[in-house]
Amino acid sequence: MKPNWVNAITLSITALFVAACSPALPPEHNGVLYCAEGNPESFNPQLVTSGTTLDMTSAQLFDRLLEYNNDTQDFEPALATAWEVSNNGLVYEFELRQNVSFHSTDYFTPSRSFNANDVVFSFNRWLQPNHPFHLVSGGNYPFFSATRLDRLILSVEALNSHRIRITLREPDSSLLSILASNFSVMHSQEYAQQMLEAGTPEHVDQFPVGTGPFYFRHFRKDVAVNYSAHEHYWKTRAATDNIVFRITTNDHKRMLMLLTGDCDISPYPPARDVEWLDQRRDIQLQRSLSPNTAFWAFNTERVPFNDARVRQALAHAINRESLIRTVYHEHAVIANSILPDSSWAHRAYPSAYAYDPQRARELLAEAGYENGFSMTIWALPVQRAYNPNARVMAEQMQSYLAQVGVTAQIISYEWSTFRRDLAAGQHDSVLIGWSADHADPDNFFRPLLTCAAKASGNNRAQWCNSDFDEAVTAAIRSNNQRERRAHYYLAQQILSEHVPIVPLAHSIRFQAAAADIRGLKPPTFGGIRLQSVYKEPQNKQERMP
Amino acid sequence: MNRVFARQLSLLLITLFLLSVFTFSLSYWFPGNPVTNSSGVSTEHPLFTEIAEARGFQSHIGHQYIAYLQHLFQGDWGLSLQDNTPIWQEFKLRFPATLELAILAMAFALLFGPPLGFIAAIYHRRFADHVITSFSLSGYSIPVFWLAQLSILVFALVLGWVPIAGQINPLFDIVPVTGSIFIDIFLSDSPYRAAALLNALQHMLLPMLVLASTPLVLLTRLTRSAAIDVLKQKYVKGAYARGLSRSEVFFRHVMPNAMQPVLRQMGSAFNLLITNVLIIELIFSWPGIGSWLVRSIFERDYPVIQGGLFILATLILFANIMMNLVHAWRYPQVRQEFYAS
Repeated sequence: MKPNWVNAITLSITALFVAACSPALPPEHNGVLYCAEGNPESFNPQLVTSGTTLDMTSAQLFDRLLEYNNDTQDFEPALATAWEVSNNGLVYEFELRQNVSFHSTDYFTPSRSFNANDVVFSFNRWLQPNHPFHLVSGGNYPFFSATRLDRLILSVEALNSHRIRITLREPDSSLLSILASNFSVMHSQEYAQQMLEAGTPEHVDQFPVGTGPFYFRHFRKDVAVNYSAHEHYWKTRAATDNIVFRITTNDHKRMLMLLTGDCDISPYPPARDVEWLDQRRDIQLQRSLSPNTAFWAFNTERVPFNDARVRQALAHAINRESLIRTVYHEHAVIANSILPDSSWAHRAYPSAYAYDPQRARELLAEAGYENGFSMTIWALPVQRAYNPNARVMAEQMQSYLAQVGVTAQIISYEWSTFRRDLAAGQHDSVLIGWSADHADPDNFFRPLLTCAAKASGNNRAQWCNSDFDEAVTAAIRSNNQRERRAHYYLAQQILSEHVPIVPLAHSIRFQAAAADIRGLKPPTFGGIRLQSVYKEPQNKQERMP
Repeated sequence: MNRVFARQLSLLLITLFLLSVFTFSLSYWFPGNPVTNSSGVSTEHPLFTEIAEARGFQSHIGHQYIAYLQHLFQGDWGLSLQDNTPIWQEFKLRFPATLELAILAMAFALLFGPPLGFIAAIYHRRFADHVITSFSLSGYSIPVFWLAQLSILVFALVLGWVPIAGQINPLFDIVPVTGSIFIDIFLSDSPYRAAALLNALQHMLLPMLVLASTPLVLLTRLTRSAAIDVLKQKYVKGAYARGLSRSEVFFRHVMPNAMQPVLRQMGSAFNLLITNVLIIELIFSWPGIGSWLVRSIFERDYPVIQGGLFILATLILFANIMMNLVHAWRYPQVRQEFYAS
């Protein structure tokens, strides 16, 4: 017997396969698929710290008063067209841009354009504890409390509809950097007022309204976030009509999806596959230096680390290049200062941290430790962008230290215990690091290595040096970049002489994209910008193995 | 038949009762506060005491169980510990997605499994039989997660035929209303419904085929051996002797008789399929119950685990009871067995 119907079904299944090969997306649905590495926690960057959330929200939905340009290393006007600083550095006045329109969405239609009320609202929400929106969605504004901006700013007031004044308690030249950061976004006061009257203030953080290049369409957890281009964007309209963030937590899966065309852009490809991806013709790979530093801090309150010669010797004892190769797989560059190379105040002191075991032994002998000593290395127990595997790094350092006669023991507690004991100063030395919150060099000095940082438990070296403190304080009080640079050079020189920390690496962030994606820029300070990205219109792309 | 129906119904109710007692008791088995475990509201929440009261926690355990059932039927499944969203809302979108995938895969397995088994039996020990047997044996031996990875590698990466993640290209902007992508496309006012449907089919193809593979080879093997047995029976010879044609013998005598033991195993084929759905959804990023349950286990999201477990177990239970009823309805001797037991 001849089962004809089996043939018929087989045939129709084959037909489906063949049909599946033709491009199915109609031209009106053009857009770019970005495979994001997690769900956004909120749609208000003021409330978050995670880079994933910032990438998906800040630069896509919102604007800031000013922007930091990484190439010129200077500030550019954004929602503020001009700004003035008073001579005493306490009063900042911003002239706001006219005719900036907010997003029109299915949940909000703006009746007016952006003005000073929106700025005052956006600041006062986190600045004033009694503001009606302060406690909405948890009431934590981690960035603004970490940078102490909530204590620095005395008041924000509207002078007229398009001019605002910010008054500080003390001069702080990092203010502009903070205002240009991805956290300092401008919300719509009108929308917030409507939501407050409707009794749903938390909608402001779930269904965002901003002035940015894209407006929010919808979000389905674990699946996707959809944005569309804001037609009346004050700058150039976004190059693509739609942006979709597909939530894909697994890095291997993201890479597969990039290869199959299920996404167009994929951040953080797996370290082991970077080289292979780079060789493929259908993939473009971009890299940028992350604003972070991994370092090895000595507890300068303990013997023998209170002796600068011992610290210098240990810095010379380890081969940082080999450490970086093992731990980062080409995902990092060697750090010769606590400041990343991309900062305008960066000055490298490679000789202070060069691998020279002979010199290390001499210095140890000078300090009276020709027979060595034993010490502990605390290795960060969690994975961080600046150090993906501190434990492996510590193991390798162990063998380098053994060559100069120092016996090192590795300590790795569970993270919360680790942090608590570290703040209490129970370590000899620790492998840890720092990711900057904003572009100002101050962020690498004052929170980390000053006497004040020691008091607050964040100074991992327990180091307090009055010359260094003077230099970084003078730098923050000044608004003249040349003057500031001189102070920071001095600060870095003091660090290279006293070696409270050994800078190890600045990590590199990779971003892979399909070859037909145009206008994609490498991720800069604190995130990605997708407004210039579009997909080259063409027929189905070739997939080359 | 009525007696069978009554028996199966009472079996269903008793098992559902035991299941609900089990999931209810999970709030106590899980570490932490039982109120938090069942409602997802932390002890610091301002409404905590009211919620504990609504769930009967100020009273004895029987009261708590009844409150649990009330909440369950009202669709108040508590909040996810992970992000404080109502579980029922998420569940409503995820369950149809799983159901859609599972039903299509089961239909595929039913459409191809038994016919392949019959072909193998008819061509017993000939070429077609060898091909089908070797395929079903290898299909039976390959773990489904490996098959999924392999098929992604071949059909998506090398050949580029199908996408590997999700229900549809999200640029189609199909608003999830029911969670079942085909129904959502039908409900949407998109002018490109045909294109969207094709795209959804493409997305469905690989997970559906991989998911169908295990029940398919199971059914093929069962049908083959059952049909071989039946073909040896004297009544088949008798039918030929009475001058019936090959197709008449096959459709009148071989097929109905061979299907009886196969039908009995249909329930276990479905159980296998639901177990595999967890893995398949995870691998293909399918937004269904399975991937949700697996993730909630990783994140110790107890209210979600409770709800997900309950619903998957209920699904398996319903499918098996239905299968029993169909079985009893089609085959009188099975009805006899049910009475006897």
